[in-house]
Amino acid sequence: MAQSANDRRRINGPEESFPPIFDDDGEDIKLKMQRSRAPGDIRPIFLQPGLISQANGSAYIETEKTKIACAVYGPRQSKTTTYSEKGRLNVEVKFAPFSCTRRRAPMRDAEDRSIGVAIHQAIVSSIRLELFPKSTIDVFITIIENDGIEGCIASGSLAASTALADAGIEMLGLVASCSAAIVGDDIQLDPSEAEARASSGTVILACMPALDSITSIWQSGQVSADLSLKVILSD
Amino acid sequence: MSSSSVTNPSVADETLRAQIFQRLHPRVYLERFIAEKIRPDGRTFDEWRNVSVNVGSISTADGSALVRMGGTTIVCGVKAEIAEPELDRPEQGFLVPNIDLPAICSPKFKPGPPTEEAQVLSDRLNEALVASDALSLSSLCIHPGKAVWTLYVDCTCINYDGNAFDAALLAMLGALRNTTLPKATYNEETGRTTCSRKTRSQVQLTRKFASMSFGVLDTSHVLSDLTAFEEPLMDVTLTVIVDDRGELISTTESGGAISEDVLLQCINRAKERALQLKD
Repeated sequence: MAQSANDRRRINGPEESFPPIFDDDGEDIKLKMQRSRAPGDIRPIFLQPGLISQANGSAYIETEKTKIACAVYGPRQSKTTTYSEKGRLNVEVKFAPFSCTRRRAPMRDAEDRSIGVAIHQAIVSSIRLELFPKSTIDVFITIIENDGIEGCIASGSLAASTALADAGIEMLGLVASCSAAIVGDDIQLDPSEAEARASSGTVILACMPALDSITSIWQSGQVSADLSLKVILSD
Repeated sequence: MSSSSVTNPSVADETLRAQIFQRLHPRVYLERFIAEKIRPDGRTFDEWRNVSVNVGSISTADGSALVRMGGTTIVCGVKAEIAEPELDRPEQGFLVPNIDLPAICSPKFKPGPPTEEAQVLSDRLNEALVASDALSLSSLCIHPGKAVWTLYVDCTCINYDGNAFDAALLAMLGALRNTTLPKATYNEETGRTTCSRKTRSQVQLTRKFASMSFGVLDTSHVLSDLTAFEEPLMDVTLTVIVDDRGELISTTESGGAISEDVLLQCINRAKERALQLKD
């Protein structure tokens, strides 16, 4: 089911539709898993600030297949009437309906929210929010093409931080972020979707290289503490 | 900005004052430009912004296009899925066009469900695709009464600088023209449809067409290809859809009344532009 049937605010298709089933499914998934890069190499990054003219700051990032656009609006007046001494950072992530292998219904679900929280965590400590009382900084991220959630979080944080800098918002430092997958005993940096699926665990690290400090670490899957530290060091 | 303010403070001061004037009195600001026969971005009344189309850059979609029209940027992706046809139309597939104007593209949109503007745009795009009969729905049939293709044509606006309808229609047609469908076979015994990964065929569009939008100010000034600043100030907006042979597909007018001359002027400009776009 691709879309809730009674959404009257959009043009609706048939009640039910299914993505095509291929006759050779399962065979070529193994082929896809082969990695062409060395374990310590990341995918080439294309990063360009300032493409969205309507926004205060923006950035577009492309790492091979992953394509993400990010815009920053603000600091602008908070909608809530309660007084807050510190500024608020609001991160919203949206998947384009055609960004994944399966079509995404244009509804927000848990996945975009969890990516939003991860990116929020990665960048929030780099911003000097105490300088913006009563205001909100909105960071909107649209994932145009998705090749692995880990990669999306890492490049999303990088794009968000670049867009904040483009908007002229005071920060302690730029945030750089990288993901890693553990396959057997190997640590593979910047895994794609197929590589991450084949791994036993993933780690996403965000840091401010200028201050030599870490802003957030996300680890999932079965990883021993030692190995996890090793991954963090190699990130 | 900072360097000019050091060397020439009066120029920076003037620009700032112009910006404040534009924010406070947009209509008067625009009228002063119109009186000089020029538009705020330096174009003449009948000048169009540069258009660039980039197709097939999104690998997760079955067809895709990225359109830039001046500052306006729209990405469109087509996803094909299989569905059961309607009982009264056993051989017709589905075409489901939608446009999203998310909060990322302009400060005037807020996150949440589609705005009124997005709903109207989606409906107009749907109507344009249906009215033009560009894609025959029966070509989407896999097995009559059992399985047909559904093409979800989704546009996302990345940067909104006016004239989203023209850009979105161009993106949708570009993406549809770029769409390939895997060869699908319906197995009558199991009732399942399977696709082959190797052979894909192109979706056939029957005609080429484009839409052209205009705005009319003070009943006589006709501006082509409006920007986000000009759009809300217009008295009347007009959209003309013509195909590459100069045949009219649809004309929509909204706002106040216009004279027949203005309408003809728009249609002629649209035909001219359609011939330009064809090259």
